Amino acid sequence: MLQTISYLYQVADVFAFLVLAAAGLAIIFGMMGIINMAHGEFIAVGAYVTTYSYQAGAPLIVGMLLGAVVAGLFGVVIERTIVRRFYHRPIDSLVATWGISLMMTQGALLLFGSGAPGVGTPFGSVAFAGGSFSVYRLVLVVVAVLMLAGLYLVFMKTRFGVHARATMQNAAMARSLGVPVDRIYAATFGLGAALAGLAGGLYAPTMTLSPMIGSSFVIEAFVTVVAGGADVLVGTPPAAIALAVIKATATAFWGQVYGVMGLLVAVCLVVRILPEGFTGWMTRRRA
Amino acid sequence: MRPSVRMLLATAAMFTALPAAADDSDPIKIGLLEDQSGEIAITTLPKVRGTQLAVEEINAAGGIAGRQLELIAYDPQFDNAKFQEFTRRLIDSDEIDVLFAGATSASREAVRPIIDRTDIPYFYTNQYEGGVCDGNMIGTGGLPEQQFSTLIPWMMEKYGKRVYTIAADYNFGQISAEWTRKLVEDNGGEIVGEEMIPLGVSQFGQTIQNIQQAKPDWLMTLVVGNSQASFYEQAPAAGLKIPMGSSITIGLGFEHKRFKPPAMENMHVAMNWFEEVSSPEADAFKERWRAKFPEETYINDMGQNAYAAVYLYKKLVEMADGSTELADLREQIATGQACIDAPEGQICIDPKSQHVSHRMWQVSVDAEHNVTVERSWDKVEPYWLGEVGCDLTQYDPKDQYTPSYLPEPQ
Amino acid sequence: MKELLSLVNGPQTFGAGRTFWSIAGLLLLAALVFPFFASNYTVGNVAYFAVWIFMALGLSLIWGYGGMLSFGQTAFFGLAGYGYGVIAINFGQQSNLTLVALLLALVVAGLLALLIGYFMIYGRITGVFVGIVTLSLTLTLATFVNQTAGAEWRIGRARLNGYNGMTRIPPLSIPWVDGKLYFEGTAFYFLVLALLVLTYLGLRILVNSRFGNVLVAIRENPDRAELLGYDIRRYQLIAFVIGSTLAGLSGALYTAWGQFIAPASMALPAAAMPIIWVAVGGRKDLTATLIGTFLVLWLFQSLIVVSQQYALIFIGALLLVTILFTPGGYLVWLFEHWQRLVERRRERTAVTTAPAPVGSAAE
Repeated sequence: MLQTISYLYQVADVFAFLVLAAAGLAIIFGMMGIINMAHGEFIAVGAYVTTYSYQAGAPLIVGMLLGAVVAGLFGVVIERTIVRRFYHRPIDSLVATWGISLMMTQGALLLFGSGAPGVGTPFGSVAFAGGSFSVYRLVLVVVAVLMLAGLYLVFMKTRFGVHARATMQNAAMARSLGVPVDRIYAATFGLGAALAGLAGGLYAPTMTLSPMIGSSFVIEAFVTVVAGGADVLVGTPPAAIALAVIKATATAFWGQVYGVMGLLVAVCLVVRILPEGFTGWMTRRRA
Repeated sequence: MRPSVRMLLATAAMFTALPAAADDSDPIKIGLLEDQSGEIAITTLPKVRGTQLAVEEINAAGGIAGRQLELIAYDPQFDNAKFQEFTRRLIDSDEIDVLFAGATSASREAVRPIIDRTDIPYFYTNQYEGGVCDGNMIGTGGLPEQQFSTLIPWMMEKYGKRVYTIAADYNFGQISAEWTRKLVEDNGGEIVGEEMIPLGVSQFGQTIQNIQQAKPDWLMTLVVGNSQASFYEQAPAAGLKIPMGSSITIGLGFEHKRFKPPAMENMHVAMNWFEEVSSPEADAFKERWRAKFPEETYINDMGQNAYAAVYLYKKLVEMADGSTELADLREQIATGQACIDAPEGQICIDPKSQHVSHRMWQVSVDAEHNVTVERSWDKVEPYWLGEVGCDLTQYDPKDQYTPSYLPEPQ
Repeated sequence: MKELLSLVNGPQTFGAGRTFWSIAGLLLLAALVFPFFASNYTVGNVAYFAVWIFMALGLSLIWGYGGMLSFGQTAFFGLAGYGYGVIAINFGQQSNLTLVALLLALVVAGLLALLIGYFMIYGRITGVFVGIVTLSLTLTLATFVNQTAGAEWRIGRARLNGYNGMTRIPPLSIPWVDGKLYFEGTAFYFLVLALLVLTYLGLRILVNSRFGNVLVAIRENPDRAELLGYDIRRYQLIAFVIGSTLAGLSGALYTAWGQFIAPASMALPAAAMPIIWVAVGGRKDLTATLIGTFLVLWLFQSLIVVSQQYALIFIGALLLVTILFTPGGYLVWLFEHWQRLVERRRERTAVTTAPAPVGSAAE
């Protein structure tokens, strides 16, 4: 009984991590065809803002939201000044965002040095069926699901969402219909950056705070985006579930090394079998 | 004719005397290669500062054998290729007299082939898995036999004989886990679980579950790097509150300053230096450090080792009457008298292995992250290499040995 | 001579005229002569930079000419490096011929490239997904090798040694009159220079030949090339194998130079570096890649020497500025501007020396 519960808990835990790490990257890649190598640094912005606001006395939730907002603003600024020139040029955007990432990481090290003491994981633990589990990590699972639901509402039920989806499908047509495409791009990049910042803020209490904190998320985020495809609503959730099962199973049976390698091998297989990721598979099924 | 011959001889004598005079005003060039940016810079920047402090102090006190020290440092950015590149630069272009370089073992192994072809001494000032038997190298960091032989018997007596090990899955972690297993079993205990974690992993859900199910008496945590250190936050959050032992926490990565209490509660570590150590030398050293670097979060063992190593070099050169030649310095090492009073306590270079004996300190961390010094041992020797057959006074294999790769009998 | 020139010149590379080749000749002459005037350090440093250029040229072929962004260059760098290490440690002492180890390492890299390339290209993986698959494979390899520290991980007498890297690798040597000739210092420099010249000229001939034209056609529009009757997968595979083997050459030379190879050479951020160099210098032209990579490496080193911990910030800014203002690569931008200047001057001289229009003569 404990084994099953423990296993389900692990799958849910990895699922939450993958969704939260990948959501921002998926939106940016899906909308603008850009590989954002600075994704890890937006996560770090969120983590640092959250930690420092908490140290300054703000409640943790406020700190996390603030982290998301600051990361989002950062994203908008970078988009307006630099990234806009690289739409649908994934390689040039890769180099540009890599340059940004170098500057941000080293800049953070120089400014903040060894970093502030961490926040500490809230909510303690709960004992269940003979084992004990961190409550906060279950909270994160709930947050991940809520985030997906929130994104669904935003993209499906708001005007911004309609405009954004139109721009994603056919930017020229959307522009000719009066959609403020430039502003949509800026807002979407900002949204992607804000989600990355939120992920950083959410996980900061559970990890070491350092300028390189983002690097712990990057591989998982990248793998999930590739497997999920361009649509964050249709592709990311099933991809996250599938990869979570793979990683949790591999780790449970053979250890962490095989968990990591399992993810990377899985992505090769997915690319081979489902070239457009789960998005392609789901949309083809619907059609 | 004869007076001119005498003049010729006098002139010749003058010229042979001149080079010696020129040496006294030539600076001794110290090469330093430590990460100032990149993955582990947070823990290696104290090495740069420790070296700078030592150089400044020695220069203010007149230098070494009347010569001032000149510090030439480059930032290898946690890239082995850059370690190689800049070692060559230091040797060929800057013409250093001594090299202090490398934190990770990989960077050390990248540097060794290059420095081994020269007559330049190489100080590796980091704690590591041990085993390098190389005449060019002097290892001044802590070694597994020094750290585990002191810590493990105490932990087993205090907490019990069932031990679970989690270790970073690379050379240092694997060899440390091997040492742990050996010492636990030698002391009548049992390793109930051993998990290897790849570098860079930061999520420990499954590992925590495994530990809870195995129900050990205490945990040996040999996790390395910022990502893996997240374990210390996630374990108590999941309700895993169990005594922990380590050879690299607190003193190296100052986790007690970077995690919110009580994450590091019940952690016990044995190393050759913690900033919390108090003695006349240690306190004076800490004062001088903070006077020069007031923003320092924590003076870690890497920083103290780097500082002490410069003084160790000074001692060797003075023992060799001002010579900086490797052969002369090694002659002095072979006497077994190369000792200094470092901030940690007295350290001496062991002639057989050219590693350093340490004053070992053991600390415990409580729920408020206060660090208490439990015990200390004088002069814990780096005995393992000598025991397995490395004797640098006899021959120089320039190799690295491990418990499963021993030297061939000579 | 004229025949050689007609082979190396062509539509796929910049520079075909007398000016270009005179400058190239002068540079080569300078490169041959400079070791006798420069310090040991500078010679070694230049040779060290040159070692990485093979990997960049290989990527230029695969990506610039073939249109496939391969993140796998460092994987083949590592495979050939470890290959050289294993062969040289096991057989180097007896045969004194570690140069053979270098060649064998290249063969190993090439065969593996053939295998991986076949499954990838004939598995219809194209575009940005080539990059994703190659990156995943590279990272998997690096993660795997990282944990091979135990004594059981050995090939013959060569221990893989995991994260710490493989050590005690013999340097390059061939039997010589009185013992061994070691390829170190100046000898190493000349070896690398010779290999570089051969590779550059060889690649020029390749891309300017029919093969190169078809490869570029595939890059521009794979469907059209297929409709024209070309087996696009065969061309892509050949380009992939050649380019990856060149990355292997970099790896084997690096390993022989430093007598050391570690998995960190394969993982991020090392895996991204060839892409950065080639993107910044100019991937669509071999000359731009060659000179661009060399200058970028030299610039990065100088920045570190001068600015220590601020170097990464300057390097990041440099990447950003370069890709913003010269997206095809700064040297490509320079070449194009140079060409435009030359053409404009040719037009002007043509106008001033043109015969008077027929009408005006009829006075």
